[in-house]
Amino acid sequence: MLIKLSGGTIYDPAHGIDGKAMDIFVRDGRIVEKPRDGERIDQEYNLAGKVVMAGAIDMHTHIGGGKVNIARTMLPEDHRHDPAAHSDLCRAGCGHAVPSTLTAGYRYAEMGYTAGFEPAVLPMNARQAHLEMGDTPMIDKGGYAMLGSDDLFLRMLAAKQDQNAINDYVAWTIAASQGIGIKVVNAGGINAFKFNQRFLDLDEQNSYYGITPREVLKTLARAVHELGVPHPLHVHGNNLGVPGNVETTLNSMAGVEGYPMHLTHIQFHSYGTEGDRKFSSGAARIAEAINKQKNISADVGQILFGQTVTASGDQMSQFRNAGAGSPHKSVCMDIECDAGCGVVPFKYKDQNFVNALQWAIGLEIFLLVDDPWRIFLTTDHPNGAPFTSYPHLIKLLMDKTFRNDMFASLNLDAQKMSTLASIDREYSLYEIAIMTRAGAAKLVGLHDRGHLGVGAAADITVYTDIADREKMFEKPDYVFKDGQLIVKDGNIVRVVWGATHTVKPEFDRGIEKEIKQYFDKYLTIKMDHMKVSNDEIEGDGRGKVIVQECKGRREKTA
Amino acid sequence: MSALTLTLKSIPQQRIDCSPLTPDKLAGKSVAEIGAIELQSGKLTLRTDAVFDISGDDASDLVFMNCRDKLDYIGNAMQSGRIIIHGDAGWYLGFHMKKGNIVLHGHAGGFAASGMSGGTLHIHGSVGDYLASAIPGDRKGMKGGLVIVTGNAGDRVGDQMRRGIVLIEGNVGAYCASRMLAGTIGVMGSVGDYVGYGMRRGTLLLFSQPRLHATLQDCGSHTLPFLKLMFKSFSGLPSKFAAIHLNRVQRYAGDLANDGKGEILIFM
Repeated sequence: MLIKLSGGTIYDPAHGIDGKAMDIFVRDGRIVEKPRDGERIDQEYNLAGKVVMAGAIDMHTHIGGGKVNIARTMLPEDHRHDPAAHSDLCRAGCGHAVPSTLTAGYRYAEMGYTAGFEPAVLPMNARQAHLEMGDTPMIDKGGYAMLGSDDLFLRMLAAKQDQNAINDYVAWTIAASQGIGIKVVNAGGINAFKFNQRFLDLDEQNSYYGITPREVLKTLARAVHELGVPHPLHVHGNNLGVPGNVETTLNSMAGVEGYPMHLTHIQFHSYGTEGDRKFSSGAARIAEAINKQKNISADVGQILFGQTVTASGDQMSQFRNAGAGSPHKSVCMDIECDAGCGVVPFKYKDQNFVNALQWAIGLEIFLLVDDPWRIFLTTDHPNGAPFTSYPHLIKLLMDKTFRNDMFASLNLDAQKMSTLASIDREYSLYEIAIMTRAGAAKLVGLHDRGHLGVGAAADITVYTDIADREKMFEKPDYVFKDGQLIVKDGNIVRVVWGATHTVKPEFDRGIEKEIKQYFDKYLTIKMDHMKVSNDEIEGDGRGKVIVQECKGRREKTA
Repeated sequence: MSALTLTLKSIPQQRIDCSPLTPDKLAGKSVAEIGAIELQSGKLTLRTDAVFDISGDDASDLVFMNCRDKLDYIGNAMQSGRIIIHGDAGWYLGFHMKKGNIVLHGHAGGFAASGMSGGTLHIHGSVGDYLASAIPGDRKGMKGGLVIVTGNAGDRVGDQMRRGIVLIEGNVGAYCASRMLAGTIGVMGSVGDYVGYGMRRGTLLLFSQPRLHATLQDCGSHTLPFLKLMFKSFSGLPSKFAAIHLNRVQRYAGDLANDGKGEILIFM
């Protein structure tokens, strides 16, 4: 079937197209060349005056895995107060901060998103994460496997094993957990927590293994790079939320010694200690460092005011934050002796000094980082705010007056501590398309997504160009997923099941001998049972595994 | 002006959520408008006039006639006015009620007065389990107001109750005042096992000696002057508690496994 999208204003940063009226042709789920004259067009959409972009990609959103389910279980009120009734097409669901899997998929598609990546797939819990993601309709998904606080990795480091062995273990982990990248959460800190350490700075040793977070970061960043995995090491830094952690973050950037690294929800890691309340913005320094170091990318993890829940693998931070939870309940738990997790509900308030300043810090980072290819639009769903607030966030970035009006209504002390009002920058549609499409696809390593060139998967979102950007991005006119129309005027017209994106870097199978021994001796299940096979994802007939290209194993780089 | 009366037409097949039918939400609406309000019943939505015969015009004085135990959430989050119910009420009677008063001439189901924060709920009959308790996921049960029950109550009366007064003239089941945070519960009849289980603070007034579990501590017998003031404040209530004037009690503290600041006062 040949579909023609005619005359839309195209924003396709991957090909440098900034608002040019063009036709797009789609055949069998892919974007194709203009067909020969006289070929029959089966369907035509007249998009004159409409804004056309690739489907948006959320490169960091907690939509699956154990902690999301814990959050759901812990917050029945979140579900009670936000029911989503079933329709002829969609099944019922519920949840504002942690929606049920089906509802999450529907809501993403209704906003023009066609892919979302779960950033904390604990290898031991990967099956659960894939089952939940498999139950999330409409969008493509994938996960970053978590390493860095697991005992086997720390043992290998402590035993000063060869980088090659570590690379094999990292590659094995990605393969076994069907990941598309590697994430490290509070490098070594989750493990140190179990040895009663409550803080772990970049150069502080784990009291048992004697390993510092700096070593963990550097080793993993190098491993990911040498394996040729397109997505750089995805780092949730140490000392999340601690005033003064801007130093830790800057040192972490320098600590990877030039290897590519992605710093996630960097807003939570950009706090200084100036001012009367010893809490200030480190956004300017962070942005300067990102601007200077081309190997670093970041997503913001913007907070927006209202009720949400923070769900993280960073047990150490969540244990510290548990007292500030609202409603006052929390879960901090070990997972299979392999990692940890913490879930704390949170209500961000605009009249609260800290929250108001966090809001401003996030926006400062957005606006001060020059290169939109290396900064990404996230709220770290649901930690900063639910993903449904993205259109609001886009408006904050694109509309200076709106932003300043919001800023003027915040806590007065926080306003004094922020330079936000003096920043004039407004994001353009082109830059938004970079952040949410082209850049995100490039960062995650999705070679056929995030752009509208010939050969790309036909994930396309069409908006009406209206001045109120929140309204514009909230309700796209059309969303196509793999060439099928799934959303019309912000309502779902067809339910599809996206694919799971993975990478399969090469590695020496010999590493399994050591891993198996470790599993047999210490862990709760057998190594072979832990591996998630393609069949498990595809077996129900609706999931699909897509293996994205790896660049091939690089020679030793150092 | 006559009371707005909703008379149930027939016994419903499914449970019906009556939460839109409160005096404050119906204020200023015509009979036709009220009739058009949709009520959720299982997966169906029903029009109010399909379920009830509607008569009268004073929404601040709402009457349910011929009421059955399938009608849930009567008086949900109500903010003003009065509801009189003839017949039984379903679950969640007076759920998160804020003001006004509800009089029930019949029995009520579970979770009556759950999350209630003000007003009065007078039940001339018995209630199910979880009276004045928190529903799963809520951290507080009843948060204020007054509940009078002339009959018996089921298990878990006042589970996680935070404030307010519950007076029960009959018997109650097990786990009375479990995980109670604060407030007052009075029980004239017998009390089941595990009374005050996990009780943190709050006061329980009993008139017979219950079986007490190990972490409730006997503190001896006392004459407590505050009881005189408390019963004086009860003297105007339409309840048997209005006639009591006692101040000599055996005092137990507990639950010592959970802070132990609660007290169980047993009148001798």
